[in-house]
Order: sequence, then structure tokens, then C-alpha cells
Amino acid sequence: MMLLRLISWPYFRKHIVRSLLTIAGIVLGVAVFVGMHTANQGVLFAFNSTVDRIAGKTELQVTAGETGFDEAVLESVQSASTVRVAVPVIEATVDSQIAGQGNLLVLGTDMTGDRSLRDYDLEDADEAIIDDPLVFLAQPDSIMLAKEFAEKNDLAVNDTVTLGTVLGPRAFTVRGIMRSSGLTSAFGGNLAIMDIYAAQHMFGRGRTFDRIDLATRDGASIEKAQEELRQLLGPGFQIDAPAGRGRQFEAMTASYSIMINISSLFALFIGMFIIYNSFAIAVTQRRSEIGILRALGATGGQVRGLFLLESAVTGLIGSLGGVLLGLVMARGIAASIGGVMKDVYGVAQRADEVATDPALLALSLIIGIGTSLVAAFIPARQAARVDPVQALQKGKYQVLSVGESRLRALAAAAFVITSILCLTAASSRVAFYVGYALAILAALLLGPLLAQWLGRALRPVLKWMRPVEGALAADSLIQTPRRTSASVAALMLSLALVTAFAGMARASYDSILDWTTTTLNPDLFVSPSPEIVSRTLRFPGPMGETLAALPGIARVQKVRNARILFNGAPVMIVAVEIGSVAEMAPSPPIEGDATEMYRLAAAGEGVMISDNLAKLHGLHAGQVLTIPAPHGLISLPIVGVVLDYSDQQGSILVDRTVYERYWRDDSINLFRVYLTPDASPADAKAAILQRFASERQVFVFTNRELRDYILRITDQWFGLTTVQIAVAVFVAILGIVNTLTVSIIDRRRELGVLKAVGGLRGQIRRTIWMEAVSIGTLGLILGFALGALNLYYILQIVEHDIAGMRLEYVFPVTTMVALVPTILAAAFVASLWPAESAVRGSLVEALEYE
Amino acid sequence: MIDLARVTKQFDGKRNVTALHEVSLSIDKGDVVSIVGPSGSGKSTMLNLMGGLDRPTAGVVRIDGDALDGLSDDSLTRVRRDKIGFIFQFFNLLPTLTCLENVGLPLHLRGWSRSKVHERASALLELVQLGHRTQHLPEELSGGERQRVAIARALSIYPPILLADEPTGNLDTRTGREILQLIDDLHERLGSTIVIVTHDPNVAARCHRTIALRDGRIEQDVRR
Amino acid sequence: MSRAVALWIALVVVLAPDGVAAQDARQIVQEVQKRSNVRSQRYEGVLQVFNAKGKVSDKRWVLERIGSYGSSKMILRFTVPAEVKGVALLVVNHTDRASDQWMWTPSIERDRRIAFQDRSQRFFGTDFSFEDLEERDVDQFDYSILGDETIDGESCWKIQSVPRQAKSSQYTRSIVWVRKATYTFAQLDSYIKEQVVRRLDYRDMANVQGVWTARRLEMSDLRTGSRTRLTLEQLQYNVPMKDEDFTLQALRRQS
Repeated sequence: MMLLRLISWPYFRKHIVRSLLTIAGIVLGVAVFVGMHTANQGVLFAFNSTVDRIAGKTELQVTAGETGFDEAVLESVQSASTVRVAVPVIEATVDSQIAGQGNLLVLGTDMTGDRSLRDYDLEDADEAIIDDPLVFLAQPDSIMLAKEFAEKNDLAVNDTVTLGTVLGPRAFTVRGIMRSSGLTSAFGGNLAIMDIYAAQHMFGRGRTFDRIDLATRDGASIEKAQEELRQLLGPGFQIDAPAGRGRQFEAMTASYSIMINISSLFALFIGMFIIYNSFAIAVTQRRSEIGILRALGATGGQVRGLFLLESAVTGLIGSLGGVLLGLVMARGIAASIGGVMKDVYGVAQRADEVATDPALLALSLIIGIGTSLVAAFIPARQAARVDPVQALQKGKYQVLSVGESRLRALAAAAFVITSILCLTAASSRVAFYVGYALAILAALLLGPLLAQWLGRALRPVLKWMRPVEGALAADSLIQTPRRTSASVAALMLSLALVTAFAGMARASYDSILDWTTTTLNPDLFVSPSPEIVSRTLRFPGPMGETLAALPGIARVQKVRNARILFNGAPVMIVAVEIGSVAEMAPSPPIEGDATEMYRLAAAGEGVMISDNLAKLHGLHAGQVLTIPAPHGLISLPIVGVVLDYSDQQGSILVDRTVYERYWRDDSINLFRVYLTPDASPADAKAAILQRFASERQVFVFTNRELRDYILRITDQWFGLTTVQIAVAVFVAILGIVNTLTVSIIDRRRELGVLKAVGGLRGQIRRTIWMEAVSIGTLGLILGFALGALNLYYILQIVEHDIAGMRLEYVFPVTTMVALVPTILAAAFVASLWPAESAVRGSLVEALEYE
Repeated sequence: MIDLARVTKQFDGKRNVTALHEVSLSIDKGDVVSIVGPSGSGKSTMLNLMGGLDRPTAGVVRIDGDALDGLSDDSLTRVRRDKIGFIFQFFNLLPTLTCLENVGLPLHLRGWSRSKVHERASALLELVQLGHRTQHLPEELSGGERQRVAIARALSIYPPILLADEPTGNLDTRTGREILQLIDDLHERLGSTIVIVTHDPNVAARCHRTIALRDGRIEQDVRR
Repeated sequence: MSRAVALWIALVVVLAPDGVAAQDARQIVQEVQKRSNVRSQRYEGVLQVFNAKGKVSDKRWVLERIGSYGSSKMILRFTVPAEVKGVALLVVNHTDRASDQWMWTPSIERDRRIAFQDRSQRFFGTDFSFEDLEERDVDQFDYSILGDETIDGESCWKIQSVPRQAKSSQYTRSIVWVRKATYTFAQLDSYIKEQVVRRLDYRDMANVQGVWTARRLEMSDLRTGSRTRLTLEQLQYNVPMKDEDFTLQALRRQS
């Protein structure tokens, strides 16, 4: 500690800018980590707490995926001997139609029985109206609001609120305001309750319930009730504690979490390089100081301890800053993730409160400090090995020893071989990820050697450009591998990340576009809600005929999709008129014979599955799929595997007849509408809107609009990753600043000489700029190389572990081309300040011998 | 050629140190002048001011009749690169550049063409008898050889003024003598004005004029 | 016996019986039911809820009932206020088990079943529970006489009834006071555990078409301090009615 104050603090103060830069590296790395995880947890937490609060005293919930089920199921559940009370529920998230308020979670319940499970504590007792369930039930426009929402929007009993329903925006009368409680704080307080039968009507649910909430009889265990209900209802239902929904939500959005984790780890990793860089530099700069310490009797261990302690303190400060910044960022990120959840997964979310999880914060501190320690480990070891005698001599330093280079090369070679073995020999995912990690490690080990080698290759070019400034800039890179290579490595990592994600995004866009071209070829799409993925509102079955009868419409295909549980994973079941689809938008099967596939599937004698489902669950044509449905188990052979990106977790395509039979549900999420050759989409759209204007809410999208919509959603999915990548690149740029601030110190004499013999300020600046741009160039070259490899791995991860998407390996040349000037410009900008301070210093001091 | 008028130089710091006190001095064209004095007497400071490496706190430095005060950094640099060659005690060669590149450095900075630079630098290295060492790095040379490269670099622009700060201070006696001989030869061939800072009386003895400094003031000004 | 009894029909009865002095509790209750027995019944009810703060809300309904006690069917339809007009409740009693109850909401044209589990809930904001609307056969309870007491100056038997299947009722037991003179209920206290939670008073007795009937029923919720008064107007017995009008289909049809 004494050493820290005596030795380290003055150094820190002397190099305050650089120290701050180092800390900034950790701050950003940790901030991204904290921000992402807090936000992710926040969204998950919001979902869970909404589930939890709405659940009230519910012990078990009966669901059938999100398809809902026939009302009759309620009586079966109520008849179970272990069930004390069971109540039906419909949940809908609807547009509150109030600016800035977003969605309102509407809970449709049966007021007669529901109070056994949920406590609607009603605000002051104008009992005549509020506590009069009769009026509430008699009037389908009745609604009860959470106090939170009522207060925010200045609503009182008997006021009206307008909500988007399947019938269009409808005015609802506030018949009660619920006093603040656990229940009312669900969904961020944007909660409303209405009668379940009115809700069926308003949200197009037909005679179905979304789920049944129940509590068991005294003395009956939850397990026993589960068992009895399973027997009673059959395998088509899930009977789980409310928390189970959180798990499903988690499973559904797992892929998103994986992406976020990968990129936030990269950010942290890059931060680590900044620290490594700083410490490597510090050790070389402080050689003589270390030498004196050693000469005065400090042991190698003490010196190492000093450096590790310094790094721990740096890590701690940086992590604390990172945690704070991360928490600030989390709210914004949560909103963004919430948007993705809503738009990509169709599950509306409100993450208003971003809870700070002490465990996560502690973990972040540990990670931050741990990262610093790991990063400082090698420099500290080198510091400990400093030979006092040599250290006190002036002169050359910072040269990678031949031994070290050889060791690095050997280790890298070993890693490369192992990682290749991992790829080829083993089919296990663990081996794959080990291989991935080793490949990255090998790249990091080779980084300095390659950077040096490339620097040499670059020297003639630079010299040719500017004989003095260029050559000196190149020499600066070559002579000080420690200083340069870490920032090159940081840049390399971030560019590898960019490359991989850009490649993945590109490939995803291409695949999705291909798919939209072949299968999404209807002229119009008719949806009950403005967001096509939202399944909260549905059309009644007979509407299809009304639609088909409109002028200009040649053909209407009814689509019903819903998430169900298949092998414990949430997958999408897509019910369409397969015969009609085969005629209008046949897609070539990846497995199976096209004619047979469509014939059997249309006849209800088989199902088609999406390629990603096949990949994620290891399914193949010919296997028999068993799908649980409320009215029995569907056992049908897989007659074909097709490309379908309706859902990230995979989709099962069945004929509508099969769905109607097993789910007894003829409602519709989406109409695919084909027009007659002479009809114009615009006219047809107008005709549809006009036909239903008085009856129900209808949104019509043209083909173009739908495609744009899908691409927008894809963009949104990649949105956060893009932000993280930007942070990663920014951190890497910080690394360049860091390196250059040291570089100008190291090159002080050289620059002084240059000035003394006639170098103008512009020439001095230029050599710094050239050094920066060279670092950028090295980073770009190595980054693209590692990126090419990283892209391969990421595509493999996407294919096998995330979306089951078969993505073509295409190096994202366009993005890369755009990156070259971006990175070089960023490197240049990074060098502006160091260059200025280089020309400012005193010449005499620069030339003096210390 | 070099005029100092009431030049004062103070160094700010925790203690204000006055390195030069209102020194006035004039050095004629073609003169070889040595500046002697104990450590801290201000001789290096004086040389730095003459070379425009530093600016005086008060007073005016004139080179070839042009006052240096008020010049921008770059203008000062231009004066340096057109008129002044420097020789340093520790050579100050750039370690990553070959002898040829080191010598060509000021010429490149002046924007000369590569071929002209190459031609001139080679010729200068021949002149200092290092024609066989053009592609060597400074660290591969002996001390004397390094100083010869540094001299060649200082002469590369054929400067009217050559400033040398302890040119032999880091060399053994024999090598030092060789270097002085070289400087003499060059003086004869190029007719430059030469100012040498030294504490070696032998060096001073070879000069036309010796200025002795003590505590920032001229104590003695001897012409021979 | 049952609350229900109590309620709707219990709007009972009496011609002074012969030789009832030595009757046991069960026989007394049976006699009460027998004397109140009619083929059908119709009245317009005025429902007033007085909550603890003294606020009053008024509703009106028309009630029709057919069949004998314990296996009768009944439909009540709200007529006032306007926002609940047409809302109806169908109760089909069974001698051997709890009744079936459905509610009809005309505005969304939906019926809904009132689940057995919900019978202890308040009946649409009144102090009655759904269970209180039910008639139950005497055989579903055990009776015992606790003694004689006077209610409003009339001599009464004090009889305790305990449901045979504890789970079939929200109440642990009830105590009913039967007027000796008319074999009509005077008061019914319902207990959950050892606490009286509801008290029903039978008042304004009148002989309507030979049946002694309470024309004013007051249910007090002793836990909340709120009470509900039901006043029977235009009461008629043995009006011509058809069995098929008391079905779920009819409920939907007649709306």
C-alpha cells in the first residue's frame, strides 16, 4: 500500500490522461456488460413480475401454448378434486391510444370468481357503481384501471378511455380504479381489467380462453394437482406454476441474449487489451524506477504485487465507473430490448423499472477487476523479472525477445491445430466452442508478431509516401511491439466482431429476402393489428369469405400462427391452407419431394417443418412429429423441410383443417390476399378498408410494406448489437489514443531531433498521424482476417444454437469497404490530440539527456 | 552573423533560475567560437538560443541580421533548417534510420527529391569518411563514427552556421581530436560560422575566439 | 335446510298444523317447506343495498319460479337500472347436489356459468351470495332444536342445521328461527366456523293466496355492516308457466 502511494500515485498523476484513458477502457467494457445484462434482466424481470403480480394467489396455470383453448376446458379444470378455484383469463396488450403511454395490458377475467385469486382493491367506495359487478358485467365497455395508470392520465370513474380492439378503437368506461397493490403495478402500472367475455368479443378470441389460473384445495399438493389435471386434460395442455411462463419467455428470447452476451464479452475483452496495453507500456517506461526499487531491495514478488495492485485499483475504479454508466445506459437499452421483444417476438413488455441486481453488480466488479488483473498479469511478471542492472542503463528497450516470440508462435500453432481438430474431429458443441475460443486466442498470440511483420511490410510504403515521417512512423510501430500490438489487437478484435456481425446480418437479410420473395408473394396482407407479429388480436374465421367476395380479390389464404410448446421449446405453429399455398407460393423443399410434400400436408396427412426447427431439434423428413394440442395429440409424419423464417425458434406448418380440428379455433391472424391481374393493390386496399371500416379494425399491408416491415424488424434485432459494436470500436480507438500518447513520449527525443534539424510542425504532426493510420491499417488487415474466421464461427453458432438458419458464408465486402475509411478516419482523429501535444513540447527538454 | 542583444533566459519552476543575464554578444561570419564555462554557467542555454531551439525571456537574438523574436515555431524551424546545423554531445541520431537516411533527414524535411537527397547524403558521408557505412544503423557504429554521421547530417544543408554542443564530450580523446580535425577541415572547405560549447580547454584553444561564461554572464571574451 | 329456502321461497307459509307440539327439528323444516309449496311463483323484486356508509343503490327485477321446493327452477331478470336491464340469472336446483346457475348478459349475448367454486361470492354486489339463491333438499342437512325463542314478539323454534357434506356449503352451520304460529322462517343466521356472517330477517308477513309469505327480506352481512333489502311486489302464486322456459336455451332466446 505504501508502495502504491509512493510509486504508483505520482506515476498516475504524471500520466493522468493516459491513466484516464485506461480507466475509460474498463469503464466502457464494464458499462456495456452491466448495461446489457441489467437491461436484459430488467426486461425479463418486468415480464416475470408482471406474470407474478397478475398471478396473485394463482398456484398453477393451464395453457396450451399461446393458442388458447375452448371454454369447456374450464369446467373440466373446475371439476378436478384437487382444484379449489379455477378462473379463466385472457390477456391482451392493446394500444392505449394515449400518446406516450404505449400499450395497456388488459386482463380479461370473470369477476364472479376471480376475486378468489386476485384482489381488486377498489379505490374509494362509490360502491353503487364501482363495486357493482352487475353493471360491470352488463356493460361490455366496462373497464377497471390500475390507479397508477389512472393517475398518470388523469382518469376518474365514469371517464372513458379509448382502446384499440379488433373492432377498431373503442371507448371504454372506467367503472373502477384499483388501489395500488402488487397487481396494479404489473406491466408498469399500465393495467386494466375487463370482463372476460367482453374481452373475447373485443379481442376476437371467439369462445376461447388464453389460460386458466387456479389454486389448489387445502391439503392438495401442487404436484398432485398437476398430475390430476394432466390426466384430466391430456398432453395438449401445459400445467405449470406462473413462473413457468418466465422460463418460456426466456427460452424464446434466448437467442437474443446469446447475441448480446457475445458482443458484450467482446467489449470487455477489448477493454482488457487497453489495460494490457497500458501496463505493458508502464512497465517499460518505468523500468529504471523498477530497477531502483530492485536495487533498493524490493523482491520480484513485491514488484509484481505492486503492478497487480495497481491494476486491481485501476480495475476497481474503472468497474465502479462502468457500473454507474452501465446503470444509466440500462434504461435506454431496456427500452430497446423491450422493443425487440415486442416487435420481433410479439410479446409486449414494459421494463420501466430497471432493477439493479446486487449480484450482477458484484459480478461486474469482479469481472472488471479480474479482467484488469488478467490483463496486467503478463506485464507485472515482466516487471518482476526486470534485471536491476540492465534497467538502470539507458538505451534500448521494449523489444520482444526471440524466445518470447518463439513461445508465442509455438503456442499459437498449438492452438490453431487444436481448434482445427475441434472443428473436424468432434461434433460436440463444447468442442466447437473450445475451438472458437482457441482460434481467437491463437489470433491474439500471433497478433504482435503479425503486427510487427506487417509493420515491416508497411515501412517501404510509408517511406515511399514520406521518406522521413513515414519511415519514422513505421519504425515507431516496429520498434515497440508492446506499445503497438495491444491496440492493434483491440482493434483487430473489434473489427473481427464487426465483420462477423455484418456478415451474419448480410446473410440473414439475404436469406430473409430470398424467403420473402418465394413465399411472401401475395399482393396484400390483412392483419388485425398494426404490428403483424402481434397475435393479441384476431379475426373471426368467416371474415375470410367476406374478404374473398370483394372485387379485385382473386384468392384469400387464412393464416393462423401461435406459439406452442414443442419438446419443451416454444415454437411457432403456422396453420395455412397448404393446398392454396402450394399453388401460389410453392417453396422448394430442402428435404422431401415437393409434390408429395404439398399433397400430403394439404390432405392433413403430414406436416412441413421449417429448416431452422429441423436444425435446432435434429429433425428430418420421414420422422413422425408428435404435437400436443388441446384436443388430442397430433401424430403426423414430417413430409418436408422448407425454408421458413416466421420464427427464430422454428415453425411447424400444418394445414388449416388440422389446426381447426385439434385446436377448435377458426380465428385468423393474417390474411394473404392475391388480387386479380387487373386489380390495383391500392384500390383493393381501399376497398378492404372501406368494407370493414364500420365493423372492425383492419390493417392492410402491401407486399412492399410487409417486406420493409420484415427488414425493419431484422434491423431492430441487430440494432443493439450495432451499438455494442460501435462501443467496441470506440474502445479500440481509445486504445489508439492511448498508444499514441505513449508513442509521443517515447519518441520525444526523436521528434525533438526532427524539429531541431528542420522539421516543421506539420511534418511532426504528419508522422504521428501516419503512425495512427498505420495502426488503423494493421488493425484493419488483421481484423478482417480474424473477422473472416469469426464470421465462420458466428454463422455456425447461428445455425446450430440460435436460429437454425442456414446462412451462406459471404464476406461482407461492402461493410468492410465502408469500414476502411471509417477506421482510418477514426484513427486519424484519435491522433489529433497526441499530435498537437507532440508539437507543443519544449525542444530543449526533448533533446536533453535525462 | 549571430547577434545577442541583452539576452536573458530564465527557467520557471519551483525555483526561478536565471541561466543568462542580459548577455550581449556578436559573432562574425566565418568565425570559429568556443563557449566555455563550468556546468550551469549557461553555455548550453546560449547555444540553444543561438540555434533557435529556445526563446529568450528578454533580449533579441539575430541570425544573419534577422531577429528571431516574434517568429512562429515554424518560421523559427525554417531559419534553423536553412541556416543552422547542429551537432549534439549524444549525437541524437535516429536509431531506426541508416546513416544515409540520418544524413538525408534535413534534406527530406526540406522536401528535396529522393535522388538529390541520396546524392548529397552519400557525398557527405564520403566527406566524413563513412562512404562504406551508408546502410548501417547508428548502433552498429562506434562513437566517433556516430559523431561523424551527426556532423554529416549537420552539414547536409551546407549551413552558414554550425552549432556544436560538447561534440567531443562523449568520445575518447583520440576520437575527439579526429572529430575536431574534421570540424576544422569543414570550416576551411565551407567557411561556416562555427560555435562550439565545450569544457575542454584543448578544444577551446583551437578556436579563433573563446567566450567564457560564469553564472550566466560573460566573464571573458578572448580572441586569438 | 338451506339459506335458499330461506330466501326465495321460504317466503312461506302456514296454516296452523295439528299436533305439531312434539315435532322434531327435521319435521318442522319439512312442514315449513310443505306449507310454502306452490306450482309457480312470480313477483317483482325491489333490491336495495345499504352499505356501511349509508349509501343506497336500487335495482329491480322480475322473478319467476316453477317446480317444487328443492327441485325448482327460477329465472330472475333485472329491469332497473337501464344499464343492467335484461341481465338474467337462471337457477336450476337439484335435490341431490348443488344447483346449476347461469348468467345471461344481453349486451354481448353471452351466457356464463356461475361455477360451484364461486357460490360463496356476493351476488352482484348485494349481501346475498350465489349460494343463498339456492334451494336444497332437507336431506342434505342434519337438524336439531336448540330451544324456543321469541322474535318480534312471536314465539319461535330455534333450530340448527349442519350440512352433511361440509364442502357443499360455504357455511359451517345455520340457525333458523321458525314461527310456531305460521310455520314460517323469522330469522336465519349463517355461520362460518363460530362466527355469524350473514343474517336474514323475514318481515312483513302476509297471506298471499293461502301461503304465508314474507314480503320483505333483509340480508345483513355482519362482517361489513352492509345490508340488502328485498321487497316483493305484485307477488302471485300458481301463475301458468312452462317448464321449457326455464332452460339455458330459453334464457338465450328470451333476451
